[in-house]
Amino acid sequence: MSSPQFDPVPMAPTPGTGPAGAPPAPEAAGPAGSPVRDAIAEAIAEHRVILFMKGTPDAPACGFSARTVAVLQSLDTPFAAVDILPDPRIRQELSALSNWPTIPQLFVDGELVGGCDIVTEMYESGELEQVLG
Amino acid sequence: MPSPQEIKQRIEAAIPGSRAEVEDLTGGGDHFRATVTAEAFTGLSRIEQHRLVYGVFGEEIGGPIHALTLRTLTPSTISAP
Repeated sequence: MSSPQFDPVPMAPTPGTGPAGAPPAPEAAGPAGSPVRDAIAEAIAEHRVILFMKGTPDAPACGFSARTVAVLQSLDTPFAAVDILPDPRIRQELSALSNWPTIPQLFVDGELVGGCDIVTEMYESGELEQVLG
Repeated sequence: MPSPQEIKQRIEAAIPGSRAEVEDLTGGGDHFRATVTAEAFTGLSRIEQHRLVYGVFGEEIGGPIHALTLRTLTPSTISAP
């Protein structure tokens, strides 16, 4: 209970986030090859289990994100979490990358598993535990 | 602001042979729950099934339609024991 199970990933252009220390993207960053999208792709590649959500696991800002966090925590799964709220480009680029319109989005081994509905359904059927196993 | 009836009709019109049950979760016209049954889902992963339904609404998802909770079924899922 005391130690956080998640590994917060700063997605805002914080120095040192990526190996190259990607500079803050200008407002007019194009849709392809944007630093934000690259940072997202990198985060997905670097974390086996990563959740893009509204708010943080400790303070979810949306019921769907809260429910998805609760499912992961109930399975004792360590996961990285990215708050998409601080920068609207994160959500934009994430959805463009994943072809998935809503938040949260759970990725395992670089693959989109689903949002709250699918994660919950898979949890109830036991499939999620297998995927995370 | 879309009504559950409108959401239902749009799904059923866009996915041939589908049947949708839609409810407005909050009464506010922006949080919906839909259960969609379609032969077209056969052979698709859950992700692909949901994408098919989300695709009906495009940019409206996350916009005027804040949330669309989905459950997708194939006719055979239903008749299975």
